[in-house]
Order: sequence, then structure tokens, then C-alpha cells
Amino acid sequence: MMSPAAVLKRAAPVLACIGLLAVWQAAALVLKNDSFPTAVEAIRAIPDILGDKEALINILASLRRMAMGFGVAVLFSIPLGLLMGRSRAVAAFFNPLLMVIYPVPKAALMPIIMLWLGVGDITKTLVIFLGVSLPVIYHSFEGAKAVEEKMLWSGAAMGLSSLQRLVRIVLPAALPEILTGCRTGLVLALITMITSEMIARQSGAGNILFNALDMGQYDTVFAMIIIVGAMGICLDAIFERIRARLVRWSEPQFDMPLSFS
Amino acid sequence: MKVVPSRSSEWVSPVTSQKPASAIIEIDRVSQVFQTSARKDHLALSNISLTIDEGAFVSILGPSGCGKSTLLYIVGGFVSPTSGVAKIKGQAITGPGPDRGPVFQEFALFPWKTVLGNVMYGPRQQGVRASEAEAQSRALVEMVGLKGYENFYPKELSGGMKQRVALARTLAYHPEVLLMDEPFGALDAHTRTRLQNDLLNIWERDRKTVLFVTHSVDEAVFLSDKVVMMSKSPGRIRQVIDIDLPRPRRRNELLLDPRYQKYVVDIERMFDESDEVGTSS
Ligand SMILES: Nc1ncnc2c1ncn2[C@@H]1O[C@H](COP(=O)(O)OP(=O)(O)O)[C@@H](O)[C@H]1O
Ligand SMILES: [Mg+2]
Repeated sequence: MMSPAAVLKRAAPVLACIGLLAVWQAAALVLKNDSFPTAVEAIRAIPDILGDKEALINILASLRRMAMGFGVAVLFSIPLGLLMGRSRAVAAFFNPLLMVIYPVPKAALMPIIMLWLGVGDITKTLVIFLGVSLPVIYHSFEGAKAVEEKMLWSGAAMGLSSLQRLVRIVLPAALPEILTGCRTGLVLALITMITSEMIARQSGAGNILFNALDMGQYDTVFAMIIIVGAMGICLDAIFERIRARLVRWSEPQFDMPLSFS
Repeated sequence: MKVVPSRSSEWVSPVTSQKPASAIIEIDRVSQVFQTSARKDHLALSNISLTIDEGAFVSILGPSGCGKSTLLYIVGGFVSPTSGVAKIKGQAITGPGPDRGPVFQEFALFPWKTVLGNVMYGPRQQGVRASEAEAQSRALVEMVGLKGYENFYPKELSGGMKQRVALARTLAYHPEVLLMDEPFGALDAHTRTRLQNDLLNIWERDRKTVLFVTHSVDEAVFLSDKVVMMSKSPGRIRQVIDIDLPRPRRRNELLLDPRYQKYVVDIERMFDESDEVGTSS
């Protein structure tokens, strides 16, 4: 049995969504502007998009690029971040490079990448990769740096080599921090996915959105925003579930009842 | 009471063959210099020589900052000395190894492993089959008094329980020497007493060599065959005192024993004389 407070906590995101849609609906009815459809109109356009084979192929292509970019970035960034966190030399080598790349909007690099690699999948996946990498590297680095030295010594005394210590002690010990970085990375992957398709208009969810904008199909524009937003919320929720499972050992044992929430 | 000045060659130099017990650890003129943030050299250990016999329970006692931990880390192979050499069974120590098992004040358990997972970690690393490692580990968990907690995660345990797990985890891979760095320092007085008793019971059963760092005089006298008194700035050995008390030692008997009391009082006085009794580490 859930307490009323727990039920409310669970229902809060849904209530927030409904509230947002209600405000939207009211505002659109008041403003009566062609480029601002009501929430109901936008929601009505969703089945049309999802029922259209071409649109579905586009959206799936987006998701595939996003998964690729995210996956490769995670596989590359976690080892790099962990190595940087445990080795002064590796950190000294990569730190200046990352400090320069960090503040540059990755989408701003797209024109150059497009020039070299074209407007296809590789370019867009690469931009997603760049967007995801930095937070994952950063959090892996911080996580690895914070690993208690005595824990590594205990492992060394048991006979673990330095590589084994990295994989079997630093990695699990830093996992909560790493996954925090991955969660940020996942949202960034979605953002860079849409941005990349906005710049290199060829296919994808972003392409549908901006084509509709060009053609003045505002209900489709808003429907796409809802679809992309829902994708983000779902991906984040799924990831959060996986994350919570993986790091159950590090979280407080009992959920503190937050009486005011 | 037999008080031997630190310069005596009796336990400094290579062991003579007429001794029944053989030396397992030899520390030979070890010094450790640390660079402080002010870029000044800090002599943490100065010319330490010490021999530890196989099967002996030896405590290192001294005020905070006198280099007790550093000395233990050198024997563990976690820190290499600036000069001098530490040996185990005649071999120079160049790094950590499963022949020397550390138990730290901070427990340093693997938080993502359960109690059983932590204890099994060493044997599994050493190639013991899973079923066998598990059976041994379950027995060890029971021995340290944690039966029923096998599947708990470290975060679910109290400090005393964590230290019991840490001890079991180290015992599990059968190190020849236990290196304990103020293992009970973070525990409340009651828990500390219970763990001291349990450690003694375990030790009196299999007589592993133990190098035990503490800043508590009672603890050192209660547990040890030999107490190495250190002084600070620079860290050096002041005196080595043999504790000639019968075993098995029972706390309630020992506390009433005038010989025990005399050791404690004498050692405390020696620290007082140089005005350097440490309270914490
Ligand atoms: N890694 C280090 N770098 C610099 N100084 C250190 C380091 N480790 C220990 N020291 C210094 O060496 C001295 C001895 O430290 P330690 O061995 O921890 O003493 P104890 O365990 O007896 O309290 C202290 O003054 C401490 O500040
Ligand atoms: Mg210490």
C-alpha cells in the first residue's frame, strides 16, 4: 500500500504534464494565432505522424544514430575518464584538450564536419558522440579520482594487477558517478540529435519538424515537439530505472519520507 | 619488566640462529621523507630497524603523526621507503602481496559487494573455485560473528560490523602477516573491547604474525607479545617492550592483574616524560 504522499509523488510528473497542456490550450485559445495551434490540435496530429511510414522511418533513423553516438561515446569515454582519474600523466595529457573542446557548442562544429564527411549518418553520429562524451568523461574522471586509496591497496594485496584494479575496483566504485554522467549524456544525445538534423536536413525527427515549419504545418511542428519531448522523458525514465538498479548498493537503504513533497 | 633500549642489537640486527622463533619481517634502517606542501622535507621515519618473529603479535604504539601508518604501509609494500629496506622472509618488499594482509581503520570494504562477496573476493582472485571459496567464506563470516548478514551490503552495517567483515576479508586469503592500522580506532569503546577480545580469540587459535598499529596503551598491552614505542619528529623507535603476560588472555582477569597494570602505567609514564602522549591519529 502506498501512502497518499507516495501516490502524489508518483503522480506528480503526470499532473505537471496535464497542467502544462492545460495552460497551453488556454493560451492558444486566447491568442488565436495561426502559428500557435491548441494542445488538442497538436495532439490530434500525433497519430498522423506516427501512422506515416516515411515519418516513422525518419524517427527510427534518428533513434539509431542517437543510440550509436551515445553507445560509442560511453564505450570510449568511461575508460578514458577512469584512466584520467587514476593517472596524473593521462590527465595532464588530455585535460588541456578537453578544456578547449568543452565550451565549444558541438553543433557549431557541424559545418566543418559536414564539409569533410558529408551530411550523412557519420556526421550526425559524430556530433552526438562529441556531445555525449564530455559529461561522461568528466563524471568518470571525478568518480575515479574519488575512489578510496585503501580500497585499491586492499585489492593490490589480494594480487590484483593495476589493470584488474581499474576494471574490478575503480569501475564499480565509480559507477554511481559514471551513471550520473551517462544520464546527462543521454539527454544531450537527444538534443544534439535534433540539432544535427536541423543543420544537415536530410532525414530524421528534426528534419520532419523543420520541414513542417517551412510549410506552415504548425500542428505538425507542435506534435513533433511533443513526440521528441516524450521520447526524452521516456528514455530518461528508463535509464533512471536501470541506473537505480545498478547502484542500489550505494543508495540510502530506505527512502526517506519527504513529508512536504 | 624487561625494557630494551632501541639501539640494542637483540632485535635490530639479523636474527641469530639460536632463537627458536624465526624472523618473518625485517625492517633495516628504514627512513621515510615526505615533501610537505611548503616544499620542505619532512622526516616521517628516521632509521627504523625492527625484526618481527613469525607468529608474534607486535604492536606499534605512539602519538599521532609519529609515522606508525607509514611504517605499516612500507611493510605492506604500499609505500616504498626513501632509504633502507624492509624484508619478508629474507626477500626485499617491492610491492603489495597476498602474504601481507592489511586491515585499515577506514575498513575500505568494496561497497558494491555483499558481506559474503567481500570475503570471497580474495580467494576468488587467488583462483579458488567459487563453491569452495563460498564455503570457506561463510565459515569465516560466522567466525567473526556475522552469521545471518552474508547478503548485507556494507552500507547496511555498523562500524564494528564493517571492521569484522574487513578482518574476515583479509583472513580469507590466508596472509602470513596481518597488518592492522588502528583497526578499532573508529569504533566506540564497547565495540572496540568486543573486537579486541574476538581478535585475540582468533589469533590465539592460529597464531598468525600480526603487526598492529595503535595509539592506545591498554590495547597494545592487552593484545601484544611486544610493544614497539615510537616517538615523534622525527618518527623513531624509542623502546621495545616485551609483554610477559600469560595466554590465553582473558580481559576480566588481565585488568585485575598487577603485571598488566604495571605495564600500562610504566608505558604511560614513559610517554608522559617526553610529553608526547597522542590522543588520536
Ligand atoms: N603521503 C604523505 N605526504 C606527506 N606527508 C605525509 C604523507 N603520509 C604521512 N605524512 C606525514 O608523515 C607523518 C607520519 O604520518 P603517519 O604515518 O600517518 O603517522 P601516524 O600513523 O603515526 O599518525 C605525519 O607528519 C604525516 O603528516
Ligand atoms: Mg595512522
